[in-house]
Amino acid sequence: MAMFDETVSVIENRPLPGGHFLLSLDAPRQAPNVRPGQFAMVRALGRSDVLLRRPMSIFDVQAHGGGRAGSNRKESALRILQLLFKIVGRGTRVMADLKSGDKVGLLAPLGHGFFEEEYLPRAHESDEVLHVAGGIGIAALLLPAKQLAEARFKQRLFFGGRTKDDLVGINEFKPVVSAMLLATENGAMGYRGYVTRPLEDYLTKHTNKKFLLMACGPSAMLRATVELAKRFRHPCLVSMENRMGCGVGVCLGCSIRVQGSGHEAYQRVCTEGPVFWSDKIVWDAESSGLGIRD
Amino acid sequence: MTNKSQLEKQAPDSGTVNGPAVTTPPAGEFIPQYEIEIAGVKFQNPVWTASGTFGYGREYSQLIDLNQLGAICVKGISPEPMDGNPPPRIYETDSGMLNAIGLQNVGAKRFLNEKLPFLRKLKARTVVNVFAYSTEDYVRCIEMLNEGEGIAAYELNISCPNTRCGGIVYGSDPKLTEEVVAAAKKAARYPLFVKLSPNVTDIALFARIAEGAGADALSLVNTFVGMAIDVETRTPRISNVTAGLSGPGIKPVALRMVYQAARAVKIPVIGIGGIAGPEDALEFIIAGARAVQVGTANFYDPGTSIRIVKGIRDYCQRKQLHLADLVGSLKTPGK
Ligand SMILES: Cc1cc2nc3c(=O)[nH]c(=O)nc-3n(C[C@H](O)[C@H](O)[C@H](O)COP(=O)(O)OP(=O)(O)OC[C@H]3O[C@@H](n4cnc5c(N)ncnc54)[C@H](O)[C@@H]3O)c2cc1C
Ligand SMILES: Cc1cc2nc3c(=O)[nH]c(=O)nc-3n(C[C@H](O)[C@H](O)[C@H](O)COP(=O)(O)O)c2cc1C
Ligand code: FES
Repeated sequence: MAMFDETVSVIENRPLPGGHFLLSLDAPRQAPNVRPGQFAMVRALGRSDVLLRRPMSIFDVQAHGGGRAGSNRKESALRILQLLFKIVGRGTRVMADLKSGDKVGLLAPLGHGFFEEEYLPRAHESDEVLHVAGGIGIAALLLPAKQLAEARFKQRLFFGGRTKDDLVGINEFKPVVSAMLLATENGAMGYRGYVTRPLEDYLTKHTNKKFLLMACGPSAMLRATVELAKRFRHPCLVSMENRMGCGVGVCLGCSIRVQGSGHEAYQRVCTEGPVFWSDKIVWDAESSGLGIRD
Repeated sequence: MTNKSQLEKQAPDSGTVNGPAVTTPPAGEFIPQYEIEIAGVKFQNPVWTASGTFGYGREYSQLIDLNQLGAICVKGISPEPMDGNPPPRIYETDSGMLNAIGLQNVGAKRFLNEKLPFLRKLKARTVVNVFAYSTEDYVRCIEMLNEGEGIAAYELNISCPNTRCGGIVYGSDPKLTEEVVAAAKKAARYPLFVKLSPNVTDIALFARIAEGAGADALSLVNTFVGMAIDVETRTPRISNVTAGLSGPGIKPVALRMVYQAARAVKIPVIGIGGIAGPEDALEFIIAGARAVQVGTANFYDPGTSIRIVKGIRDYCQRKQLHLADLVGSLKTPGK
């Protein structure tokens, strides 16, 4: 797989509500090679207060001038790589300071994403694809949703956040899904409570239908989603987030516990993932260490 | 690299650090020598990548030209495959990082079958980092690896607890250090480098013990034992509680230890710890290191080691010095 380590320029770093930013990077070598579900390792250059690069899902890729690269355009016209991120600590705070023209170290595209050859057969068997996003987890789901929309799959988004400011990126999703079900913990927007509530209602109402679930978000939400998928017997893909050192498979810092024993007991989120079939993962919090987002 | 054949013709054995130091430039343009020799093994330059930070080499082959490196020290190999610690395994600190990976690796057999064939084809030499939890297993691992062709040397990671001796870390105990180095040396078909733990009060003592027990070279430092706590949850940031500290923050301490070790022994010393650019590498060389290893910097800037190769070349050219002239060339005032 083609990955590139490049110094690229910030085109725009647009602030959004709730400490979110949409960062557009001029990445002509990397953008055309992105596959849905892949990620980038990012570092603001010239800042010595942050050492390691931070992993970020590739939210979207676009042609120059912000236009979407339609099917009539050549892939090579893609050159803008977009990241959607939220300030949670030092690294993301430094990223929030980025201004147009600033330089960023960008290692991308990385990881084994929602690769269509692996999930399309399951999507074809299903009546509808259900995306389940918690907060900034939404960033991993737009590209696969666009790809599925192009293939004319029916899709629905379940999207939850603490507050209404956490529900970023909805506008981008609108054209690709047939319905969106929103939830906020305080009820300021959509359902009051966790997003898995409307999801459970939906699954309960349509027990005769086949679904493919795709989920990304905090570990508690993922666990609840995977539980539902299991209970209602639907296949489920999850995009995992874990701390990363290198992003390319050498530090073994990102490993998570998977089904299997001995040497097979761990897999690297950055290389074998970030997208896994949910039944591959050992979801017990103790052994998986997946609690870092809770 | 371009001038290499020309160089060999003009000065057949100049500049290797084991040979006589050559300070007189050949007639015409001065061509610095970077090649080094340790225990009879030639390395095209002194810039290597550190164990555990560069996988088995192939992972970075798309990002940098591996043929420009002096050597690749592979992830620590144990006799059997190992699965490592539960996550979280890493955490960023000020100017560094903590890791407790738990030495997850593919094991000696799969290393020989799946990883070594690729490494063998490179101009960069392959140094195989070896670890175990008992002296017998260190020996067993080396015996298994002896079957492999194209290994330049072993690097013995002695920062491991001896599980049969109440978990005392080999590298922090003089007796255990001597025991494991002597046993490994006896078993080893290839030269033996010993990677010292910095978690000791007197590094010179351990350097001398390793030398006395038969080490062909020393590499130092491994990571410093540290920890970090999340005060909100009052839990350790790393599941293993304690973890190894690496990165730019450890450089001054690592440099001091390399300086002390190099003065204590006659065998070559390889410097490691927080090296992130040419100047860092030169500091270690001037302090007494014949080669250096780049670790954590590979993670945030994979191009670091290649930049260091070029930087050392430029420095030697500018100073009109061979690498061998630089090693241990620290000028201490009033001494
Ligand atoms: C494959 C992948 C894709 C990701 N995509 C996105 C994305 O599109 N947008 C986005 O905003 N974030 C994304 N993340 C999470 C992002 O990498 C972290 O939020 C970021 O590294 C935190 O860095 P920091 O220095 O700001 O926070 P730190 O100071 O390191 O940590 C602040 C808090 O965030 C937690 N944290 C640290 N690293 C992670 C992590 N990797 N995942 C979850 N929590 C973490 C810490 O435990 C702590 O509670 C992704 C992570 C992965 C592994
Ligand atoms: C994630 C990680 C894994 C490591 N694994 C090993 C290992 O398997 N064997 C070993 O001898 N040293 C290992 N080390 C130590 C490094 O090789 C090096 O000695 C140390 O990190 C200091 O150098 P640095 O500051 O340049 O990283 C590891 C270091 C890190 C950060
Ligand atoms: S982040 Fe280093 S192995 Fe995955």
